Amino acid sequence: MSETLRQSLDLSLFWEFRYTLLAGLAQNLYVFACAAVLALALALIVGLARLSANRAVRAVSTVYAELFRNTPEFVLIIWVYYVLPILLSRMLATKFNMSPFLAAVLALGVAYSGFLSETVRAGVQSIPRGHSEAGLSLGMTRFQILRRIIIPQAVRRMLPEALSQFVSLFKATSIVSLIAVPDIMYQVSMINVDQMRPLPLYTGAALLFCLVIIAATQLIQILSDRWRKRGWA
Amino acid sequence: MIDNFNRFVVPNLGLLGEGLWITIWICAVAFAMAVVIGAFACIVRVYVPFLRIVAVIYIEFARATPILVQLLWVNYVWPELFGFPKSVEWAGVIALAIQSSGYLAETFRSGIEGLSRGQVEAGLAVGMPRTTIFRRIIVPQVLLVMAPSIVNQLAVIVKASTLVSVIAIPDLMYDALKIVNQWFEPIEVLTFVAAIYVTTIYTLSASAKFIADRFRVKYGLSTYA
Amino acid sequence: MSAAAHPPAAILRVSKLRKAFGYHEVLRDISFDIAAGSVVSIIGASGSGKSTLLRCLNYLEEPTAGEIYLNGEPMGFRVKSDGKRVADSAANLGRMRAQIGMVFQQFNLWPHMTAEQNVAEALIQVKGLGKAEASKIAREYLAKVNLLEKADAYPARLSGGQQQRVAIARALAMEPKVLLFDEATSSLDPELTGEVLEVMRQLALEGMTMVVVTHEMGFAREVSNRVIFLHQGVVEEDGPPEQVFGRPTSERCRQFLSSVLG
Repeated sequence: MSETLRQSLDLSLFWEFRYTLLAGLAQNLYVFACAAVLALALALIVGLARLSANRAVRAVSTVYAELFRNTPEFVLIIWVYYVLPILLSRMLATKFNMSPFLAAVLALGVAYSGFLSETVRAGVQSIPRGHSEAGLSLGMTRFQILRRIIIPQAVRRMLPEALSQFVSLFKATSIVSLIAVPDIMYQVSMINVDQMRPLPLYTGAALLFCLVIIAATQLIQILSDRWRKRGWA
Repeated sequence: MIDNFNRFVVPNLGLLGEGLWITIWICAVAFAMAVVIGAFACIVRVYVPFLRIVAVIYIEFARATPILVQLLWVNYVWPELFGFPKSVEWAGVIALAIQSSGYLAETFRSGIEGLSRGQVEAGLAVGMPRTTIFRRIIVPQVLLVMAPSIVNQLAVIVKASTLVSVIAIPDLMYDALKIVNQWFEPIEVLTFVAAIYVTTIYTLSASAKFIADRFRVKYGLSTYA
Repeated sequence: MSAAAHPPAAILRVSKLRKAFGYHEVLRDISFDIAAGSVVSIIGASGSGKSTLLRCLNYLEEPTAGEIYLNGEPMGFRVKSDGKRVADSAANLGRMRAQIGMVFQQFNLWPHMTAEQNVAEALIQVKGLGKAEASKIAREYLAKVNLLEKADAYPARLSGGQQQRVAIARALAMEPKVLLFDEATSSLDPELTGEVLEVMRQLALEGMTMVVVTHEMGFAREVSNRVIFLHQGVVEEDGPPEQVFGRPTSERCRQFLSSVLG
C-alpha cells in the first residue's frame, strides 16, 4: 500500500505536464467567467421578474427558476450540446454548429441562473418594506428608491450567497471535459491515456481542485465576516 | 417528433427502466451512507476535540472536490490504494456518499450550533446527564430543523448521479446516451430522460419545502431549507 | 459531609461565593443561607449579578471561588478522606440538580414535545419512571397550573404565559426541595405576567422554598418574606420586605427603588 501511496502522491508527473495542465485550468476559468456573467445577467432578470406585480411574469419566471434549479447540470450540458443545435437548425432553417465551449457556457450559465435568481429574489425581498415607504413619504420616486435604497442593500445581502454559488459554478466546470472542452480534467485524461498512470494524475487533480475551492471559500468567508462586522450584509 | 418518440423511446423503455432502477438504488444507498458518515464526522468535529482537525479536513475535502473528480479518483485510484471498491457501482456509491457526507456534516453542525443554549440548560436543570440531553433534546431537534436540508441533499445526490455514467455504470443517463449514440436521434430520448430527472428532483425539493412549512407551523422551529 | 457545622434548616447555603468572567468580577464574596419554606426575592439593577448568582445555585455557572451547599452537601466538588477537594462526578451533580428546580426567563420548553411530554420527560429519563406513571404525574402538575386541557399541545401553540406555566409544572414534577426563578416574567407581555405570578404566589403559600430573581416589585414586596438587594456583585441589603422597601440602609438600594417604583 505504501508503494501505491507513494506513487499516487508522486506529483512529479503533474510538474512535468504543468503547462498543459495550466492551460486546462485556464479553460476552466474561462468557461467559469463567461458562464458566471451569463448566469448573473439572467438571474437579475428572472429574480426581479419573480417579484413583478404581473402574475404572468411571475409565473413564467418561477417556472424558469424551478426548471433549471432541478435539472442536473450534466443532463443540461448534454442536451444543449446535442439537442439544441438540431432544434435551432430546424427552426432557423440553417445548419447550426455549436462548439463545445459555447454549449458549456450556455448550459452552466442557464443552470446557475436558476440558483442565482433565487438568491436575487431573496435578497431584494429581504429589504423591509418600511425602507421604501420611508423613501416614498419623503417624496422620492420609485426609481430613485430602487437605485439608491433597494439595490445597494440588496447587493450587499446577496453577496455571500452569490459568491458561494459562483464557487459551486466553478466546481461544475469540471464536467465540461465530458463534451470535449479541453479543460483540466480533459487534459488529465489525455495524459492518462498516454502515460497510463492514473494514481498521481487523479489524486493530483483532486488536490488541485480542493486547494482552489478551499482557498476561494475561505476568502469568501473572510470577506463575509468583514462585511457583516461593518454592518453591510 | 411524436413519431420519433415512438420509434426511439418506447421500444427502449425497458432499458431505460433498468437504468432508472440502478439510479434509484445507487442514490438510496449513497444517501444512507452519506447520512451516517456525515453524522459521524459532525459528532467528531463538535464533541471530540483532539480529532477535530481530522474531521475538518475530511469535510473540507469532501465538499471542495467536484463530484466528477471524486468519481474518477475513487474508481481508478482507490482499488490500487485500498483494494476496494471492486465494482464501478460501488465506486459510484462511495463517491456520491463522500460528496454528500461533507454537506450533511455541515448541515448537522449548523443544526447543533443553532440550538439555543437554554434547551440544554433546561435539561441540565432537571438533572439530565449530557448523553441523555444529546439523545432526547439535541438530536430530535436537529433532525426536525434540518429535515428540509437533508431531503434537499437527496435531490443533490440524484443530480450528481447523472455523472456515474462516466465510469460506465449503466444508470439512466448511461442508457440514454447509449441509445443516442446508437441511433443519432437525440431529441426525444434526451428530452424524455431530462424530464424524468427534473420531475424526480422537483418532487424531492418540493417535499423538502413542504416539510419545512409543516414543521414551522407545528413546532415553531425556523428551518433553513 | 460535615453536617455538624450546617444548621439543618438551611436548604441552601452560599459561602464566600465569587464569580468572574475573565477579568470581570460579577459576584464578590457573597454568603447567605436560605431556610426551608422561605421565599427570597433577589432584586437589583441589570448587571448587578442577580441571574449569575441564581445560576450558581444549581451550578449552571461554576463559581470561581466559594461553595454552595444543598442540604449540607457541597455542589460541584467532594472532599476526600484526606481532606483534599476533588471535582464531583457529572452523575452526582445531576442528582443534586434534580432536587433543585429552575424556571427560565426564556421558558426553554422543548419544542418537539407536547406540554405533557415536556413535564414527563425528566420523570422518565432522570427518575426512571415508566411512561404511564410519568404521564399521570405530568397531568396532575399540569392541572395544578391550570393547563390540563393543553396537555397535548405543542409549545408553538401556547401563549407565553401558558408556556411559562408548563415550565413551572415541569420543574415542580420533579418535587424539588427548592425552586429557582430566573426573571420568570420578564419575557412576557404585561397582560400575561399575572397568570404566572399567581401560580408563583400559590406555590409560596403552600410552603415551597423559592429563590426568585425578579423585576416585579409587587411580588417581592407582597409574596416574599425576604428580599436581597444586589449591587455590582455585593449584597447591600438583606431583610424582610418591610425593611428593604420601607427603611433601606443602603443609599444605592434607595436610589434603585426610587427609580423602579417612581
